[in-house]
Amino acid sequence: MKKKSEANKKKLNPFEVHINREKLKVLGKKSKHDRGLPGVSRAKAIKKRKETLGVEMKVMNKTNAFIDRRIGEKNNQLSAEDRMIARFAAERAKQHSKKNIYNLADDEILTHRGQTLEQIEKFDDPRSDEEDDDFEKKFGGLDNDFVSEGHFGGGILSKTDAQDGAKSHKDLIEQLIAESKKRKAEKQKEKEQTLDLTEKLDSEWKDLQPVVFKKARVEEESVIDKVLSKAEKGQDYDKMMRELRFEKRGTPSDGLKSTEKQEAEERKKLEELEKQRQLRMLSEEEAAVPNRSQPTAKHRSADDLDDNFELDDERDFMLAYDKDGKPLVPEQVLKDFSVPNAKPKFDDGISDTSSEDDGEDESDEEASDDEAADAENKSIEKKKEQDIEIRDQQQDISSSDNDDDENQSSEEENTEEYKQSQAQILSEVNGISNKDVRSEETKEDEEEGSDDEAGSDDEQSVKGNEFDNLEDLKESKEESEVEDEHEEESKETIESFFDLKAEEGVKLKELLTGKSPSQQSAALQKLIKSYDPSQSANNKELLSRLFAHLLQYVNDLFHGLKDEGGALKSFLMYDKLLPHFYDLAHTNKVSAKRFICELLKEKHDKYTKSPRKVPDLDTLVFFKLISAIYPTSDFRHPVTTPSVLFMCEILTSCRFRDAYSISRGLFLVSLILEYTALSKRYAPAAVNFLRGLLYLSADTSVLNPVQVVPPFKLHGAEKVLRLERECTSLSAGDRMSSADLVADSLGERFKVNCLYNSVLMLREYFDNCCDMEAQGAIFEPHIKLMDRIDLDLYPKKVAKAVKEVARHMKATLEVKTYTPLARERKRPKALRLYEPDIQEVFTGSKSSKLSREKAEKARLESKYKKEMKGALREIRRDKAYIASVKIRQKIQSDIIRKDKVKQIYKDASIQQGELNKLKRMK
Amino acid sequence: MVSAQLRNKANEFLNSRKHANNLADILQMFDAETDNYTPLLLTIEVIFTELLKRGDLVQEIIPLKPIEHSPESEYTRWLHECYEAALARCLECIRRGRTSSRLQALVTACKLLQAEGRHPLETANGYYFPSVRLKNIFNVLLDSEISMSAPIARFQEFTEYKDVQQYGLKVLATMGYKKTPSTIYMQNYLELMDKLLATEIPTEYKNKAKDREEEKEEKVLCAAEGRPSFVYHATICRRQANRCWGFACQWALCEEPRAHRRALLLLVERLMPLLSRPHLATDMLCDSLDAGGPISMLALQGVLELVRRHNIDYPDMYDRLYAMFEPEMFATRYKRRLIHLADIFLSSTHLPEGLVAAFAKRLSRLALVASPEDAISLLQLVANLLLRHPALKRMICYEDTPAIMSADPYVMEETSAVGARALGSSLWEVSALRRHVAPAVASAAARVLAAADQRAAPLALAPPDAAMFDAELKKRFKTIEMNFMRPQGLALPVAAERVAHYWQLTA
Repeated sequence: MKKKSEANKKKLNPFEVHINREKLKVLGKKSKHDRGLPGVSRAKAIKKRKETLGVEMKVMNKTNAFIDRRIGEKNNQLSAEDRMIARFAAERAKQHSKKNIYNLADDEILTHRGQTLEQIEKFDDPRSDEEDDDFEKKFGGLDNDFVSEGHFGGGILSKTDAQDGAKSHKDLIEQLIAESKKRKAEKQKEKEQTLDLTEKLDSEWKDLQPVVFKKARVEEESVIDKVLSKAEKGQDYDKMMRELRFEKRGTPSDGLKSTEKQEAEERKKLEELEKQRQLRMLSEEEAAVPNRSQPTAKHRSADDLDDNFELDDERDFMLAYDKDGKPLVPEQVLKDFSVPNAKPKFDDGISDTSSEDDGEDESDEEASDDEAADAENKSIEKKKEQDIEIRDQQQDISSSDNDDDENQSSEEENTEEYKQSQAQILSEVNGISNKDVRSEETKEDEEEGSDDEAGSDDEQSVKGNEFDNLEDLKESKEESEVEDEHEEESKETIESFFDLKAEEGVKLKELLTGKSPSQQSAALQKLIKSYDPSQSANNKELLSRLFAHLLQYVNDLFHGLKDEGGALKSFLMYDKLLPHFYDLAHTNKVSAKRFICELLKEKHDKYTKSPRKVPDLDTLVFFKLISAIYPTSDFRHPVTTPSVLFMCEILTSCRFRDAYSISRGLFLVSLILEYTALSKRYAPAAVNFLRGLLYLSADTSVLNPVQVVPPFKLHGAEKVLRLERECTSLSAGDRMSSADLVADSLGERFKVNCLYNSVLMLREYFDNCCDMEAQGAIFEPHIKLMDRIDLDLYPKKVAKAVKEVARHMKATLEVKTYTPLARERKRPKALRLYEPDIQEVFTGSKSSKLSREKAEKARLESKYKKEMKGALREIRRDKAYIASVKIRQKIQSDIIRKDKVKQIYKDASIQQGELNKLKRMK
Repeated sequence: MVSAQLRNKANEFLNSRKHANNLADILQMFDAETDNYTPLLLTIEVIFTELLKRGDLVQEIIPLKPIEHSPESEYTRWLHECYEAALARCLECIRRGRTSSRLQALVTACKLLQAEGRHPLETANGYYFPSVRLKNIFNVLLDSEISMSAPIARFQEFTEYKDVQQYGLKVLATMGYKKTPSTIYMQNYLELMDKLLATEIPTEYKNKAKDREEEKEEKVLCAAEGRPSFVYHATICRRQANRCWGFACQWALCEEPRAHRRALLLLVERLMPLLSRPHLATDMLCDSLDAGGPISMLALQGVLELVRRHNIDYPDMYDRLYAMFEPEMFATRYKRRLIHLADIFLSSTHLPEGLVAAFAKRLSRLALVASPEDAISLLQLVANLLLRHPALKRMICYEDTPAIMSADPYVMEETSAVGARALGSSLWEVSALRRHVAPAVASAAARVLAAADQRAAPLALAPPDAAMFDAELKKRFKTIEMNFMRPQGLALPVAAERVAHYWQLTA
């Protein structure tokens, strides 16, 4: 073909060339249509039409057609062999159809000596494989020596010469036969032995099976299986096969995390929570600040009319690929496009997301709670599973007993074994529970819980277990009988704890009184565990009630304390109880909050009745509780904010004149310090109180007074904290103690300790305010007051501390700088300018300006137009071709008709001539 | 039991004259009782109101005619005597017994007064008001030994009646003169006067049409149908009130702080608009202003009134006001009044910047040590100052390049506000308050600092919301945040533990 075209080109007839005149010359533009060969191309087109349209016309209105599809049949260049190869290749290729590209040799049927493998494989006797092709099979199992002697006639001659009485040929043959028979018998025997062994092994395996796969199968057995097994009773092969096939596989679970990993996760979680806490510390205004600079300059088109009309092609991008075929677009953009609006985005950031986070956080926490609960439950479940398994085994055994008559004897043996093993397991369980009881820990309760949950179906067995346990207990643990009694007693109370609503409080008291703090804690723990919310729906509610009762209990604990021992004991108990408050509050956040708020309200109401008197410890200790449960650093919190306000109110409006009020005041100040430790907030009430205390211990005359803030008064009030005599030898200078809270007189020691601690706290408050310019204004009076304290009277340690704090405060204030408050410099607002719309990939097409859909549409439309034009043209040409063909046919048929007419005329004229001739002859 | 018996007796007495001795019995029982006279008082109230209504007490005295001695008139005379005796008993009871019975005695006396006013014992033309009875009551109330503040407070419910107010002032004016009264007497007097003036006396320049409307709603104690109605004369009231105050002015009010405070309160709250020559009070107010503490706070209001309405020029007014802002003000009851007054005083736009700046600075210093509620109102005041005096904006947003200072230029100890050099300073205190523990204060401080941005109208000072604690408890929260570290004991697990540093509670 190429040669032909080349030849064509060579003898290009100049008359055939048609040159298209160019009207406008564009530089760099390649023109395809500057010259053409109209004759040639027309001929081409006609030829093409002849091959397609012409053929079609020919077969038009004809029903049958013969198509020869044999490969290479029409190609005469191929030899016969080539054709065969091509056809074989096509056949093979056909086999690799799409549906089994991975199944390479599946459809090929392999044959062996004409038989397919399937025909050979009958699995009749799988054991007979190796024995048959033993060593030296080639001679039908004959000995080497016999072969060497008897074959090829070689032996006869030599043997006849032998002196030991030569055997005849017949003898030899007989010997041979006997030998082979003997060997066959031996082999047979051996075979039977192995068969027996295999069978035995099989049966033993069957027995062992349930032990090896320790999964409860009762539930898993599907209905179909049951039906099948009923239908095919006795067919143990099928049964076993199915069992093997449907053997429960281990469910995939999260891999055990290594301790480091767990720790890391824990740490990460805590960090996250800490971050959130710090966010909450900011007020709304502060939180809003960092976000202000977020919005970036948006592109503005030169055609922007400033009518806030948003073009929605913000997310449009040009998809382009690099030379490796990877998209040039960043991953996340692609992702965004594939999953549009997968995640809502908030522009104003923190406020919204924080709330979202809060939700998440909560759910997270809950999830973690759940996890914890799960972990607890797991152990319960394990035991339960064991129980169930044991029962399953029993059931299995009994059923198989019934079913398999023929195997009864062996089965019986097995059941014996099982009973033994079961007993072992049971005893193990008992052992565990015994251990539990010994360690006085929670596991027993877990077991109880599991028992509760497992409900009535295994009640009996468990009860039996329990009795066993108790008996065991009594036998094994006489030495700690007292505790045991406690245990039982408390267990009874626990079990019936929530039976009567009215008696819960009493019962709690019953449960907790007369025990050491740690025993109390253990009992409580047990109580809480046995009503774990994961076990029953209303346990959550019960536990929240328990929370309320515990609050009441603590209230009673601290009510009307008079002596030091009582206070100490109460605090020790409180110390142990506090973690439980935390747990309970976490189980039901809403109700815990409600209870605490109600408590606060009640206490506050009580306080407002006599606002000059400092509330007793039964109010104050709850502030400690709140700080343990709730975050104190939040800007605003439903619980901590009211409580801190309450404390401030006490400190600002109460009268502080005696040991009772001053010690409680100091306690409150330390609590407020704790509340503000993280957030570094400023609590005027506490600072003023410290100022008052310093005032009470300082020497101030009427002539040069240092001002104090109410509730302390400049005049009239007695300076109760001033030391009257020298106490340098006093070994004070320690932390305040619980004894100070119940002291009824202001002793020297009390005074000294008071000053010591208040000065130390003052320092902390001072440091909290370090970044404030107003620090000086706040703490100036304190410094003055500290200078007026007669330190010579105090023990050295205290005097030193006071001096040190004063020095520190002075030094800090000395170097303090004051920057005038200035508004945050705002960047001058730039004139709005039109920026060029820079596209990363420039195509030059106008359509790139359009949106994606529009561009696509325009492209398709233009393509459609073009194609339409072309198609119409083609159709026109086709029509012309068909017309030409038809006219040609018509002309041809006309010619033929004319010829025929001529012929007819000719014949007729001849006939006429002959007739005329005849007529003439007549 | 007793009250039921008494009621029976009273009913019997009222139903028939046969049981006339019951009345004598009841009056006798006053001697037996020492503490709780309430049932007795109620009984005589019932009896005599009924008798007055029936007109049984009316003695027909015809001039120039000897007194009749018919049993009928004898009985009437006896009843009259009993009535007088009962009134005397009743007034006695105001002084004695438990508070509730004292109050009841006063109420009974007033009720009888009302009944008598409605059904006069003597026929009179025109409006009749038993002034004598009122005088008797006042005589008891103005005791020299016993403080009568509780009955006087109760008496307020009667002073709402216009006739009681008018006649009361008249009666008080007649009996006010006393040379050197005891302090208790002074207090009672002032309190009574205060109560009498509790309903506002309309001043002259009020609309007459408005007056007329009000007249319709006027409450009159002794109004009775078919008799001429009471005519209220505001001028008479004013004159009488002036007379009353005139007596009081001559006493040594300023000796005793309580009486002083009460007098000032009366003057400032009630009397100022009524006084015919208010500038006469200037001396007293000025003296009080110098007294310091709550007294000067009260006097301040009077002075403000004088300055605003009566063109009185007072020297160093603002310095005095400035001096009042001390931490002690938080302990007084009048702190809100002071803040309110300061807001008015400082609302003048003609004040020098330095002065207002000094006030702003001082107020924010005070807010640093104030309780949350006070801090909020102080901050509101500071915000108002900033809004009214745009020049003060430099204290919260310094426009020039901020030069770092080594000390606060403001001098707290300076007594003169102008000399405190506050303009060079900044409101660092307010910025410190943004970290106040109470979130409400923190946001208030933030609002003050944001005041530079907007041109908002100064807000009226918020009404006292003492219950910040309750407000915080009522707030709704979307989530309840919890701690995430389980405490092992009293000590917190985080670095937040502080109590344990200073308290050894468990060992």
